[in-house]
Amino acid sequence: MVLLPAILSGLLAGMARARSFGRPYQLPELRFLWLVFIAFLPQFAILYLPGLRRQIPDSWSAILLSASQLILLGFAWLNRTQPGMGILFAGAALNFTVMAANRGFMPISPRTAGRLDPDLDVPPGSRFGLKDILLPPEATRFEWLADRFLPPAWFPYQVAFSAGDVLIALGVFVLLARQDATTRNST
Amino acid sequence: MKNQLNLLALSASKIDRRHIQAFFLMVSLVMLVLGVGAPEDGGGNIR
Repeated sequence: MVLLPAILSGLLAGMARARSFGRPYQLPELRFLWLVFIAFLPQFAILYLPGLRRQIPDSWSAILLSASQLILLGFAWLNRTQPGMGILFAGAALNFTVMAANRGFMPISPRTAGRLDPDLDVPPGSRFGLKDILLPPEATRFEWLADRFLPPAWFPYQVAFSAGDVLIALGVFVLLARQDATTRNST
Repeated sequence: MKNQLNLLALSASKIDRRHIQAFFLMVSLVMLVLGVGAPEDGGGNIR
C-alpha cells in the first residue's frame, strides 16, 4: 500500500502544475494497457484471494509471479518514452532480479520482518506477507536489493521496502506529475 | 418508470468517454505498481 500514495501525490502534483500553467491536466497516453490487466490477473488470484492462495503451491506461485512481472516489465518497456516510465522500469527490473534470484519471492531478513511482526515465529525459507520470503542476509542473493529498508521505529506505519520500490514510486510520481500540455506538445 | 429510464439514459450519455478512459488508466497504473512493487507491511501473512 505504500506505493499508492505515490500515485495520488503524482496526480495532485500534475494537476497543480497544469493549473499553474493555466492548462487542463492530461493523463499520460499509455499503450498496450491490456497487458497490465492480463499480467495482474494471476497475481490477484494467487496473492489477494485467500482461498486460492493457500491451495496453490509456492513453486507455482513463484512461476506465476515471475511471469506476471515479466509481462509488466514488457509493458513498461513499450511505454519507456513517457516521462518517469524509465525510472519505473528500472525499479521493476531490480525487484524482478532479486525475486528471480531468490526462489521467485522478495527476500526479507528475519530481523526486518521482526519489526513488522514482533511475534514472528516461522523458520527461514517460509513465505512472509504477500510476496516476501524469510531469508537470512547470508543466504540472500542480491541482498542489497531486498526488502531491507524501514521507516524510523517511531513512525506509526511500519513497512519494509526495497530499492526497486523506491524507484517505482518515484517513476509513477514523475509519470503523473509531468503530464500536462507542455509535455504533450514537446513529444 | 419510463421517466426514470430516460433520466438514467441521459445521465449515462453525460459520462464523457475520456472519463472512462481516465478511470481505466488509473486502475491500470494501480495494478502496475502493485504488480511490480514488493513492499511488505506485514499484513496478510501466510503461515
